[in-house]
Amino acid sequence: MTPPDGLAAPTAPAPSPAAPLLVEPPLRQSPPRGVIATLKKHTKIVRVSLSERMTYRSDFLLGTILRFLPLVTTILLWKSIYESSGASELAGFRYREMIAYLLLTHISRMFSSMPGLAAGIARDIREGTLKRYLIQPVDMIGYLLSYRVAHKIAYITMSFLPYAALFVLCRGYFDGFPDALTMAAYAASLVLSFLVGFFFEASVGMVGFWFLEVTSLLYIVMTLNFFISGHMLPLDLLPQPWSTILKALPFQYMAYFPAVVFLRKITGWELVLHLLLELTWAVAFMVLCRGLYRLGLKRYSAYGG
Amino acid sequence: MLATVARYLRLLGHLARYTLNRELAFRGNFLVKVSVEVLWLGIMIAFYRTVFARTSNVAGWSEPDYFFFVGCYFALNGLVETLFFENCNEFAELVRTGDLDFLLLRPIDEQFLVSLRRIDWGTAPNVLMGAALMVIALVQKGWEFDLVRVVTFFVTMACGTAIAYSFMLILTTFTVWMVRNQSLMEMWWMFSSLARYPKEIFSGRWAEPLGNFFTYVVPILVVCNVPSNVMVRVLDPHMVVLTIVAAVVLLWLSRRFFQYALRSYRSASS
Amino acid sequence: MAIIEAVELTKTYRVFQKKEGVLAALRGLYKREYREVRAVDRISFAIEPGEMVAFLGPNGAGKTTTLKMLAGLVYPTSGDARVLNFVPWERADLFRRQFSLVMGQKNQLWWDLPAADSFQLHREIYSIPQAEFEKTLGELTELLGVAKLTRQAVRELSLGERMKMELIAALLHGPRLLLLDEPTIGLDVVAQAAIQKCLRDYHAQRGVTMLLTSHYMRDVEALCVRVLVINHGALVYDGPLSGITERFGESKLVKLQFEGPAPEDLGRFGQVVRREGPFADIRIERSRVSEILSAVLDRHSLADVTVEDPPLEEIIAKVFEEARLDHDAA
Repeated sequence: MTPPDGLAAPTAPAPSPAAPLLVEPPLRQSPPRGVIATLKKHTKIVRVSLSERMTYRSDFLLGTILRFLPLVTTILLWKSIYESSGASELAGFRYREMIAYLLLTHISRMFSSMPGLAAGIARDIREGTLKRYLIQPVDMIGYLLSYRVAHKIAYITMSFLPYAALFVLCRGYFDGFPDALTMAAYAASLVLSFLVGFFFEASVGMVGFWFLEVTSLLYIVMTLNFFISGHMLPLDLLPQPWSTILKALPFQYMAYFPAVVFLRKITGWELVLHLLLELTWAVAFMVLCRGLYRLGLKRYSAYGG
Repeated sequence: MLATVARYLRLLGHLARYTLNRELAFRGNFLVKVSVEVLWLGIMIAFYRTVFARTSNVAGWSEPDYFFFVGCYFALNGLVETLFFENCNEFAELVRTGDLDFLLLRPIDEQFLVSLRRIDWGTAPNVLMGAALMVIALVQKGWEFDLVRVVTFFVTMACGTAIAYSFMLILTTFTVWMVRNQSLMEMWWMFSSLARYPKEIFSGRWAEPLGNFFTYVVPILVVCNVPSNVMVRVLDPHMVVLTIVAAVVLLWLSRRFFQYALRSYRSASS
Repeated sequence: MAIIEAVELTKTYRVFQKKEGVLAALRGLYKREYREVRAVDRISFAIEPGEMVAFLGPNGAGKTTTLKMLAGLVYPTSGDARVLNFVPWERADLFRRQFSLVMGQKNQLWWDLPAADSFQLHREIYSIPQAEFEKTLGELTELLGVAKLTRQAVRELSLGERMKMELIAALLHGPRLLLLDEPTIGLDVVAQAAIQKCLRDYHAQRGVTMLLTSHYMRDVEALCVRVLVINHGALVYDGPLSGITERFGESKLVKLQFEGPAPEDLGRFGQVVRREGPFADIRIERSRVSEILSAVLDRHSLADVTVEDPPLEEIIAKVFEEARLDHDAA
C-alpha cells in the first residue's frame, strides 16, 4: 500500500464506556506566535472546519445521531441501577444528580484534556525540531501554553452550540444554575483544571528527554486517568480507602472536582480550601514541568541534540 | 465449492502469520497495546464492582450474571476488533488515496480482502480475558453444566459476531461517500455502546420501544444479550432463532450494500 | 482477434462546486451545484495480441482513466470495451487472473512485509503452482538483479528497487496483458533503463501484450512501436511512433545562459523564442543543433546550455491540428 504519512504509532486505546461527546481535532505543532495571532488563526480554522462539517451532509447527520447513543445508554443504565438498588441516594448523589454529574464531567474534560500535547513534545525531542525553541527569545513551555489557550478558546466556542443544545435537552436533570458565588468558583475550578491538565501532560511529554517511547507511557496513564479522574462515576461512590486516596490525587481536578463544585457538593470554606489545593497542584506541576525541561535540555545539548 | 473455502482459509492463514510476524517485530508496541486492554478490563470490573456494592442486581441481572455479560462483551468485542477493526478503519484511507483499486484488481472477493487483510493480534488476548471472566462468573454463580446451553451459547456468539461485523461493515461502507475522513473508530464506539448493556435497562415509557427497535429492527442489542441469556439466564428459543435469522439477513444486506458502494466508487473515480 | 477493443469509450463525472464562506456552506446543505468534466471523450481503438502500445499525452489528458476502464476499475459513462474477451467492468475472476496493472509511484505490495512474503501471498491469491512460481520468481529476480533484496521490508527499499519488486509481482502469474501507468516516473535513469530492458526481454520471451501510459518520450521510444496520443480526453493520433518522431525530429529547443547579457543577433541561428537578461531560448532544426552550438560558442561565452525537446503539448497541438486538417480535407 502507498506509504503511511508518519511513523507507525501505537493504536489509540478504546474509548471508555462514556466517551467524550465531541472529540477535539488533532493539533499540529506550528511555529510559535503571539496569542492574538494564534487565536485569529484558530478562529479561521474553526470557521473553515465548521463549514466543512456542514458541507458533507450525510456525515454531519450520521455523526450527530450517533453521538447521542452513548448518552442514552448511560442514562438508562443509571436509571436501572437506582431502581434496582431501591435507594434514592447513592453516596450522596440522587439519580438526577448522577446524570447531571456525568454531563458536567464532559465539560471538565473539555477544559482539561490536551490531545497531542505530550506526543507533540516527545516528537519534537525525538526529531530534533526542539532546536527552534532554543533560538527564540520565548521558551517552549510558554509558547505551547499560549497555543493551547488559543486552541481551547476556539474549540470551546465551536462546541458551544451543540453542548448548549444538549444541556437544554437535559435540563430536567439539573436544578437550574447555582448562585453567582458558586458559578465563580466553578469557573475558577475549570480554569485551574485546564492548567493542571496542561502542566501534567507537558511533564509527561518532558519525560521524552529520557525515555523515547513516552507515548506508550502516556496511553497507559491516560487510560487509567479516565477512571481515576472520576469521568465514569463520582469518586465518592468508590469504597474506602480508594475514595479518599483518589480524592487526594490531582487527577480528580480533570473531571470530578469542577462537576461537584457546580452541584454544590462542596461549599463554604471547604470549597475555598480545595480551590487552593487545586491551585497548588497546578503550580506543582508547572514547577515539575519546568524542572524536567531544564534538566532535559542539559542532557539534550550534552548529546549534541 | 469446498476448494474455494479451503483456498480462502489458506489465504487467511498466510495473512494471519504475516501480520503476527510484523506485530512481534514491534514487541514493545504490542505489549503496550495488550497492557492498555488489560487496564480497560480492570476498569470495567472496578466500575461494576463499585455498582454491585450498592445493589444486589442491575435491571434484574445478579452480579455473577452481569459479570458473565461483561466477559461476553469483552470477548466478542475483542474478536471483532482483532479480525476486522483495523481493516475497516483503513478503508476510508484506501478510498481517499485510491489504493482501493489494487484490492479490486485481485481475483479474490473484495469483501474478504477489505475485511480480513490484517489481523490485529494486539487485541486477540481480549478474547481469552473475556473468556476467563465468563468462567469466573460461572463458578461464582455455581452454574451447572448444561450441554444444550453451551452449544447454543457458541452458536449465538458466532451469530452475534456476524451481526456486529455486518454493522461495522455498513458503517465502514458509508465512508465511500463521506469524503471527509470521519473516524470509524468514533462511530463504531458510539454505535456499539448499544451492545454493551443488558436489554433490560431499556425500560420505561420511551425506553422500551427504543429497546425493541434495537432488538427487532436494528438488532444490535441481541449481540451480547442473547448468548449471555442463553448461558446464565433464560434460554428463549425465539430469541435464539431471531439471532440466527438476524445474522444471516444482516450478512447478506451488508454484503449487498458494500458491493453497491463499490459500484458507486468505481463510477465516481477517475 | 483483438486482445483489446474499445468503442466510443467515454467517462464524464460531476465535480461539486464548493463555495466559500459559512453562509454558502449552509445553503450547500439543501442545494448543491456541480459541473461536468469530460475525462475521456469517445475513444476507440483496437490492440492485437503481442503489441507494445503507448498512450501518450500531457497530464490530465485521460490516459490513466482509460487504462482504469480497461482494467475494470472505473465504470464508463458510455461506450463499450472488450479486454481478453471479457467486459472489464464486470470483473470476472477469470478476467482478473489474466492481466496485471502496475502504477508508478503507487505500491501494491504489503508495506511492512518483505517482498518475498508479498510474492507468497500473490502465489496464493492467483493460485500459481509451486514449481512454476519458483521458476518464474527466480528468472525475474535474476533479470532485475534484486535477488538479494527480497527478504528486506518493502518500505526500506529505494524507489527504483520498489518498482522492480512491483513489476515482479505483476508478472508472477504470467499475465497475457500488462497495463502500466507511468511506470518509470520518479526513477533515476539507471532504474528506468533496467525496467525498460526487463519489459523488452519479457515481451520477447513471452509475447505479452503491453499497454503503457506515459508523458515521457523516452519510455515510449525505448519500448513501443505504436502510439496513441490523447489530449483533453480525445484520441488525436493512432499510428506508428515514427509518425510522431518526425514531429519531434523537426526541432529542438536550445536554452542558453550567457555570461553577460544575451546578444541581440541570435535570430540568425534560429527562431528566438525568449530573450531575457542573460537567458535566451532558440528553436533550432534538429540536424543543425551541434553546428549552431559550436558557432555560438565560438563567438560568445556561455554559462549554461540545455538542449530539450519542445514541450509535449506543443507537439500534440501540432498533431491535433494536422489531424483536424486531414479530417476536414477528407
